[in-house]
Amino acid sequence: MTSDRVEAPVRTVGAVADELYLKCIRCGKCLSVCPVYRETRIETLSPRGKVALYRAVGEDDLEISEVYAGKFYTCLMCDACREACPSGVELDLILNKARTDLAYSGLMPESLRRLDETIIAAGNISGEDNEQRLGWTANLESMPIGLDHGGQAEAAYFVGCVSALFPASYSIPQSLVRVFERAGVNYALIGGDEHCCGYPLFLNGEGERALAMAHHNVEAVRDTGAARVVMSCPSCYHMWKHIYPELLDNGELDGLEIVHETEMLAELAKEGRLCFKPWPVTVTYHDSCDLGRKSGIFEAPRHVLRAIPELTLVEMADHHENSLCCGGGGNLETYDRELAQALPRRRLQQAQDAGAKYIVVSCQQCKRTLFGGARRERIRIRTMDLAEVVSEQLEGEADA
Amino acid sequence: MLDPQIIDELKSIVGERYVLTSPEDLVAYSYDATFTSARPNLIVLPDNTQEVSEILKVASRELIPVVPRGMGSGLAAGSIPFGGGMVLALTRMDRLLDVDLDNMMATAEAGIIASELADAVAREGYFYPPDTTSVHYSTLGGNVACNAGGARCLKYGITGHYVMALEVVLADGRIMRVGGKATKNVTGYDLVRLLVGSEGTLAIITEVTVRFIAAPEVERMAQAIFPKLTDAGKAINAVLASGANPSMVEIMDETAIKSVEEYLRIGLPLDVEAILLIQTDGDEADAVRGIEIAAEICRQNGAREVRVATTPEEGKEMWEARSAISGSLGRIRPNKLGEDITVPHSAVPEMIAKIKEISAKWDLPIVIFGHAGDGNLHPNILFDKRDPEESERVESAVGDLFRAAVEVGGSLSGEHGVGVLKRPYLEMAMGAVAVEMQRRIKQAWDPKNILNPGKILPTKGAK
Ligand SMILES: Cc1cc2nc3c(=O)[nH]c(=O)nc-3n(C[C@H](O)[C@H](O)[C@H](O)COP(=O)(O)OP(=O)(O)OC[C@H]3O[C@@H](n4cnc5c(N)ncnc54)[C@H](O)[C@@H]3O)c2cc1C
Ligand code: SF4
Ligand code: SF4
Repeated sequence: MTSDRVEAPVRTVGAVADELYLKCIRCGKCLSVCPVYRETRIETLSPRGKVALYRAVGEDDLEISEVYAGKFYTCLMCDACREACPSGVELDLILNKARTDLAYSGLMPESLRRLDETIIAAGNISGEDNEQRLGWTANLESMPIGLDHGGQAEAAYFVGCVSALFPASYSIPQSLVRVFERAGVNYALIGGDEHCCGYPLFLNGEGERALAMAHHNVEAVRDTGAARVVMSCPSCYHMWKHIYPELLDNGELDGLEIVHETEMLAELAKEGRLCFKPWPVTVTYHDSCDLGRKSGIFEAPRHVLRAIPELTLVEMADHHENSLCCGGGGNLETYDRELAQALPRRRLQQAQDAGAKYIVVSCQQCKRTLFGGARRERIRIRTMDLAEVVSEQLEGEADA
Repeated sequence: MLDPQIIDELKSIVGERYVLTSPEDLVAYSYDATFTSARPNLIVLPDNTQEVSEILKVASRELIPVVPRGMGSGLAAGSIPFGGGMVLALTRMDRLLDVDLDNMMATAEAGIIASELADAVAREGYFYPPDTTSVHYSTLGGNVACNAGGARCLKYGITGHYVMALEVVLADGRIMRVGGKATKNVTGYDLVRLLVGSEGTLAIITEVTVRFIAAPEVERMAQAIFPKLTDAGKAINAVLASGANPSMVEIMDETAIKSVEEYLRIGLPLDVEAILLIQTDGDEADAVRGIEIAAEICRQNGAREVRVATTPEEGKEMWEARSAISGSLGRIRPNKLGEDITVPHSAVPEMIAKIKEISAKWDLPIVIFGHAGDGNLHPNILFDKRDPEESERVESAVGDLFRAAVEVGGSLSGEHGVGVLKRPYLEMAMGAVAVEMQRRIKQAWDPKNILNPGKILPTKGAK
């Protein structure tokens, strides 16, 4: 597909693009929710500014350039602006379309291009041998039953690149399979047959290149015989649930149920298959962009937390649909590390203001970002994934 | 294009990355919340008052127009650099400097987001009343420069009523502090009052001290649904004359209702001509008694249904519908011209009738909503800028609106300011002598005419 790329700038005109930006009345409301604007206070990096740039190009008042590109990559693709816009401007489409135009014009920044090429070549984001995807199972007490499910699995667990390949995130899949095993869930692991879901490509405006991965992943999951596929990564979930159906032929996903860790944990708690010991702490729940705003899953994780005796759940200033991105979205970390590292502070402050000692997330990326932020800023607050919380609080587990 | 040497000089003041000159930046600083735009030559983002002072020294030496800008939510095109020059964006100066509980006053840099100041005061258990609908996306400096109002100013007054002291930078770069924390002060002319509402034409505001007050214990909100707009008009006056003592009385007409319903889908009725939103506050007994009186008056004056919120969340939801109007209008037509006329509140029904006539006469949809309790209405004309013939009709309709407002004893702007859009009508509203006196004030403060030139005052020779 690389050969399809034209190196000459293309312009974003046409009825669709026109419709998209015309609705912006420049009220400024989106500025108040944009993590990048809140940090930089620079209009050119704000959602309203991006729409204005996109429009200026569409109306022949501006040429696309590297500088133009830089504005669109300085974005978390967090959708907070779309959620806030009273005028119905579909900023998610504008932001994605702008990146798509840039990719086709050869203006994608080098660091992001390398990421895309790595994914295509290696099947994962880190470039390691894809067979290493089971590294996290190495120091479990016993071999996970998911490796030997005998075709009887009710759910295939799609682990995701970060949890599978970055040791700092191993404890998420480790915890989740431990919970599955305690609750008697028969699950399947697909190890090296799992490929990157393709979401980073989509974010970089190269969603079409994710097609082969989508085919491959669906087939690998089908091969397990399980009727469900469960993810702990919200981005994989969003990709499978909302973008695969657009990429794949009709019917390819038929009969396959796509669920997120939080939904499954909520289900198990409701069925009484998880018994918790008391945990007398104040926690807050951080809605990730891909699971919350983009997928509408807000209550499942909160149900699980409320099922833990003596736990007090508090909300931060920005929550549910209005949740504030941790700073880990949109591949910003790859493009502008300094800015990405400045972003978690505000979120951590909100958690502190709410009186929380723990931020519970259900996303390995949010966990990494918030954990790193807390360490850099010396903020005394702990970040845990919901799977880790559940695993530690199961009745009969030793106290952590 | 500016002399590269001057750009370098500015960079040496604020730092390389805070002087913006790329075409992208010029586009992003070319607009506010109106439909107009013009690109500056450069944008400078200072970090502190000293830097502002240094920048102004360069600008006055080189005769560069300086257009101060907050968050660009203005509705009068006040921060648009029509003659080019420098946009001086104050958004980086956003520190909260002090919350003085003894004197009940707070001080912040001008670029702080207005809601952040209000929240800081609220965290201490107090109340900073000015509440523009844009409170989360406008700066305190912008609020002062426009003397912004809001829904609650019916009971609590506008921004200017709370400003105690200002630090400003003059056109030649000198730094001046005016006002103070003493609540009574008649030493010399009241320069604070002059600077409030000066829309960046007299000085750059860099620091603001406001007073705050004790928070009302509770608030009560009611939503009254009127099949007939005229009945709603009558109800407004009856509520104001009663003992209900409301903190806000807001109106939205049928087009506003439709537009919001399409956005929020919260079940607003689509077969009625108006909704009134009424809030009372105070201690529990007062607020409840007030809202009951208001609700009863609405029922007697033709309301089909009156809902009184039983929880703060419900009240917030009702307000959400009102606050969403302005932003949701882009769903109907691509452009809107939002006006801001004020009339004596007794004339609200008459003014509404006149707006309807103007809408029919020029064949343009006009949405009516606003702070009906203090006679401040926001008729918004919806149109498509790309259609020149339609844009001409908009011009004519605006003229008619202003004339109608002045005829019933009102004025051009209640809170958005004059900027450039209302400039041609200033003399009609204020008289030639008052305009001439303002011209002299401007000359005294800004003899080289570099501060937001062309705003508020009609340029000599033009109409
Ligand atoms: C949806 C919506 C709702 C609104 N609701 C209200 C409302 O309820 N009440 C109301 O009064 N207004 C309202 N407004 C208008 C606007 O938000 C206010 O006028 C606000 O005060 C502008 O602040 P800003 O920081 O965005 O200023 P800008 O738009 O950036 O500037 C406005 C003017 O102030 C000048 N200025 C800005 N900062 C300074 C400074 N530091 N020193 C000197 N001059 C300066 C500029 O030159 C310009 O003339 C609304 C706007 C929108 C889009
Ligand atoms: S909130 Fe919507 S209409 Fe308002 S400036 Fe942002 S994109 Fe434009
Ligand atoms: S997607 Fe998020 S980071 Fe990007 S412009 Fe919108 S609010 Fe800002």
